[in-house]
Amino acid sequence: MIELRELTKRYGTKVAVDHLSFEVKPGQVTGFLGPNGAGKSTSMRAVLGLDAPTSGEALVGGRRYATFRRPLHEVGALLDAGAVHPARTALDHLRCLGRSNGIGRRRAEQVLELAGIAEVGRRRVGGFSLGMRQRLGIAAALLGDPKVLLFDEPVNGLDLDGVRWIRELLRGFAAEGRTVLISSHLMSEMELVADRLLIVGRGRLIADTTVEELAERYQRGVIVRTPQPERLAAALEAVGARVVAEPDGRLAVRGVDAVKIGDLAAEGGIPVYEVTRRGATLEEAYLQLTAESVEFGGAAA
Amino acid sequence: MIDAVAAEWLKLRTVRSTYWIVGLAFATLLLGSAMALSGVSGWDSLPPERRVRFQAVPMEQVIAPIVQLSLAVLAVLAITSEYATGLIRATVTAAPRRWTVLAAKASVLAAVTLVAGTAIVFAMFFLGRLIVGDRPMPGHTSPIPEEIPRLIAATVTITVVALFGLGLGAVLRSTAGALSVLFGFVFVLPPIVGLVLPEPWDARVAAFLPPGLADGLAGTVADPVLSPLAAGLVLAGYVVISLGAGVFALTRRDC
Repeated sequence: MIELRELTKRYGTKVAVDHLSFEVKPGQVTGFLGPNGAGKSTSMRAVLGLDAPTSGEALVGGRRYATFRRPLHEVGALLDAGAVHPARTALDHLRCLGRSNGIGRRRAEQVLELAGIAEVGRRRVGGFSLGMRQRLGIAAALLGDPKVLLFDEPVNGLDLDGVRWIRELLRGFAAEGRTVLISSHLMSEMELVADRLLIVGRGRLIADTTVEELAERYQRGVIVRTPQPERLAAALEAVGARVVAEPDGRLAVRGVDAVKIGDLAAEGGIPVYEVTRRGATLEEAYLQLTAESVEFGGAAA
Repeated sequence: MIDAVAAEWLKLRTVRSTYWIVGLAFATLLLGSAMALSGVSGWDSLPPERRVRFQAVPMEQVIAPIVQLSLAVLAVLAITSEYATGLIRATVTAAPRRWTVLAAKASVLAAVTLVAGTAIVFAMFFLGRLIVGDRPMPGHTSPIPEEIPRLIAATVTITVVALFGLGLGAVLRSTAGALSVLFGFVFVLPPIVGLVLPEPWDARVAAFLPPGLADGLAGTVADPVLSPLAAGLVLAGYVVISLGAGVFALTRRDC
């Protein structure tokens, strides 16, 4: 479990994280979502003890990261896949990191295999593509077989195969009961993998929700196409629905669901050609949420 | 701590630049030998009355600044390359007690520079003697046991300069910055001090710079500013202050 308590991080006068509190629970994939500069990376760096909080705290399993003696066995992290010495081979890189936590060569070879880059293990990292470095970074995070995983933008630079691979990997870890936190600035990446969403903007928590809840909250009614819009609108309004005529003549209905609309139309003998639930895409919902936070912050500043 | 030392030892062995730098330090033996050979042929061509005034500094002393600096590059890179690549973040994520990282690097580099430094200094000394042969050249005739303290002092100074560089690298986080400061202490300041400062301040200040400290530690100077013990303490001071500042910087700043 990862826990942030009123975490605040200031760089000079710039507030990167602003009294951020949340918990990341084991057994599910938690998506950490927000526009660039929202404070995602800073929060993760605080969890890993890389950045000292200005105030508040970040805990892993109830402990500060700095108190772990062999932290790779507790927490695996991918922050910046470029953070490798280009002259070292992939295997040597992993051996160097592992050695400081008592992890040997065999495990380094295993995680290379797991990350799908075993065949380039003896090549220098300098020649790696972004995708290969990303896989190496993920391999490094898995060295100590940790119960808690933090990945900052893990699909960056991965091809479609890689994206699918990491999605399955993350879901597998969550299913094993591990705590998985992944950050992204793209909703579309999260939709398919995250059980829970933490949405941040300007260093603050905007929403602690699920993909379903978010879709629900931002759904924009049901679209109905009928040759008799006036009659159907009257029938719907009679049961309390709000009906708006769209420019193309279709009706946008809120307050009743598609089943009720179908029943009412059948009762009134009104032909219906189309009944469609129109949810805002999650991308739109997310943009709307973060835009609100940006406007709010802009007005306050 | 043993794990941290083992990790740093592995890091040092798994980059090719380590072998280049140590190789370069050993290559100074070739340079020193070539200079000794040319010195000897110069000696041979001199008439006896001028041989008495022949100035021949032992070659291990001539190459000392180059050896110091090249092995110090190894020490500087051990930390600054991690900052340059971002690897330092992975390193301290694996070892959140950050002082252990610098302590482990210092231990490994002290061992490596002591071994390499001893090998180079002693090899140069014996090569020099071999080249001079039985010529009664001033400065090359004393019995070998008498020379041992001077050779040990030269070796110790090599390690001190390297650890000084490691601390500088941790504070400055920049290869160029740390090397510039080192270059100043080893190459630039010692000769400048003699030119710029009036007597007796030139000798007093020079005694506190690495070349002067090596002489002071060896106790070979006629009228020393620093006793061997004092010189040893000043050398220790270089290490303690720079590594102390390095630990402070590493633990207090965000990574």
